[in-house]
Amino acid sequence: MDDDLPTDFQVIVVGTGMVESIVAAACSRIGKNVLHLDSSDHYGGLWASYNFEGLQKFIKEINSDPNRQLQVYNLIEKWYIDKDSPQEETKQETEEEKTEPPKKIWSQADFASEYRKFNIDMTPKLLFSRGPLVELLISSNIARYAEFRCVTRVLTWLNDKLNPVPCSRADVFATEAVSIVEKRMLMKMLTSIVGYNEEEMDNEFKDWTDKSFKDYLTHKGLTPNLIHYVLYAIAGGSDAMPCLEGVRECKKFLMSLGRYGNTPFLWPMYGSGELPQGFCRLCAVFGGVYCLNRPIDSVETKTGDEGKEIVVIGSKSKNLNCDHLVIGINECPKDLLSSEPSESSDISKAIFITNGTIMPSEKEPLTLLRFPPLDEGDNPVTVLEVGPATGSCPKGLFAVYFITNKVKDAESDLMKYAEKIFDMTGDQTKAGDKPTCLWSLFYNVKDVSAGVRDGVETVHVCAGPDAGLDFDRAVIQSEQIFKKICPGEEFLPRAPDPEDIVFEDDVTHGPEFRGDEGDKE
Amino acid sequence: MAKTYDYLFKLLLIGDSGVGKTSILFRFSEDAFNISFISTIGIDFKIRTIDLDGKKVKLQIWDTAGQERFRTITTAYYRGSMGIMLVYDVTNEKSFENIKNWIRNIEENASADVEKMILGNKCDLDAKRQVSKERGEQLAVEYQIKFVETSAKDSLNVEYAFYTLARDIKAKMEKKQEASNPAGARSGTHQLRDERPKPTSWLARCSVL
Repeated sequence: MDDDLPTDFQVIVVGTGMVESIVAAACSRIGKNVLHLDSSDHYGGLWASYNFEGLQKFIKEINSDPNRQLQVYNLIEKWYIDKDSPQEETKQETEEEKTEPPKKIWSQADFASEYRKFNIDMTPKLLFSRGPLVELLISSNIARYAEFRCVTRVLTWLNDKLNPVPCSRADVFATEAVSIVEKRMLMKMLTSIVGYNEEEMDNEFKDWTDKSFKDYLTHKGLTPNLIHYVLYAIAGGSDAMPCLEGVRECKKFLMSLGRYGNTPFLWPMYGSGELPQGFCRLCAVFGGVYCLNRPIDSVETKTGDEGKEIVVIGSKSKNLNCDHLVIGINECPKDLLSSEPSESSDISKAIFITNGTIMPSEKEPLTLLRFPPLDEGDNPVTVLEVGPATGSCPKGLFAVYFITNKVKDAESDLMKYAEKIFDMTGDQTKAGDKPTCLWSLFYNVKDVSAGVRDGVETVHVCAGPDAGLDFDRAVIQSEQIFKKICPGEEFLPRAPDPEDIVFEDDVTHGPEFRGDEGDKE
Repeated sequence: MAKTYDYLFKLLLIGDSGVGKTSILFRFSEDAFNISFISTIGIDFKIRTIDLDGKKVKLQIWDTAGQERFRTITTAYYRGSMGIMLVYDVTNEKSFENIKNWIRNIEENASADVEKMILGNKCDLDAKRQVSKERGEQLAVEYQIKFVETSAKDSLNVEYAFYTLARDIKAKMEKKQEASNPAGARSGTHQLRDERPKPTSWLARCSVL
């Protein structure tokens, strides 16, 4: 079936991660002839969402062949529940007697039978409602391929318990955790943050460039509670966070308020893995050719006729030629990369499946929780809890993602935070205030950025997922790569609505239809 | 903008390359047939609003954008779809055999209660026929799916097929609504639009204090 794959393209993209997919869409959109390959059988690479079966396969693959995904390591999967449900028959009898069925006792077998209802993210991320990805999705019209839900609340860990963080003005007024005086103080400070402009030299923060955000907040006379909300929950920082970084993070948060919901954040339905697919779809709509399950064996650059550089890719004993190659760093042959030391950082991540939310609420919550570092030397921990309404898991369960910058390894970095909010005993019968953890996965991800070696102008390397909460870096990087390939061209101009595409000529009309209404709105 | 329809159904076309999915789409949405539409460049989805028992039903029909060519349909393509037309070419045995694979693909990725229909297209090309109508019917019985042979070229049964699929979806939907739970689980989601609300009013809000 692959045999009829054409061999000459203007742009070949290898890997279907976020950056690769945005570049593919952008090139195809302005008329470049694009081939998009992936060595695995699904879209997204490390940005993918998996159903439970797919996730098991992914774990098995990495454990059996660590070289396959060098960016992922320290993978530890754990079950906290039994393989099969006990006493299936007696359970059914009691269920009939009771009007309200008891809380479901989950077994591993239940996970297997409901595997399709899971969409577990390897790279869970949120979108700021006025962030660059939301703007790009709207301006390019790719938004029509995705749906989103609003994050309903922001929580933080304060005084050894979970606390809601007031986000909107209404929240600030309603909360009893903050006094009237504190409210005035907070509003005044947030106003100066929103007014912050980096270009203006003589701004409120000019004397704070070498000081910490915490020093600034303390100087402003904020009470410890307020400092906690602003520094840890809104800015997602730690005590050492530089003042201007804190100001920038807060401003981003505040500027995204009030667009879609009560918090500044959106979560993609069915997980972040849907988003690269949306860009791939646009690429395909404009003629991009897609081929998964297609590993590449070699990449060579050579000078063709008229001195033009050509990239030749060997794949399944076939040579594929292109003017530009865009390739995920994980797929890129090492000899093409710059010998200069690459930037690298490591991320600790964990996924938990639980049988309830960390803090019950009237409607199903969608939560961003930010932990301040609990111990000296820790980094702040970001937690995202998503429920069945997001298409992430079956009814009755929640998927909870933990992300932090690595200190030791994923399990040591994150388990102590998980224990604060989950019951890790696997006991599903007791009615404690913490949800029970049923399954967990810890893993580390290496975030490497590297350039290509000198003299290679036609190969462009894309970084993998970063530790950031949002997709900002991926959007910025893909635009930079696109500008190198197509200088002077517009980055993802608005795709026309299908209703606006009018076909002319070359059309033969069939017999008249019975009197139906017009086919357009 | 006022809502100009009572129901919006997302429908998909699925099947091998070259079976005529795009031609069927154009026959139904534009009443046009163009032999040069061999591949599917630039077609995302088409819309046609039909009248069913006094209700305006807006059909949003999605094409594969050529991603079926190397079996690389995105899982996102199937999200939220309520009806799927499985299309094969009666002059192409392989495309008929592959219907089973496509059904497996649908079971894996689409919602469990999605309505399906099998279309044996290009039935005008009787001289080149490789798949008899009986075999099509048999397959449909096996999967308990409705079946019809179509010709996008001669405009045969294309209308009938979409009306039938839409009617089945509507019936299923109304049955569900009767069994309470009218809103369904999908409420509360956002499609991002260029609605450009006022910029953040933190400053304005603050002045209230």
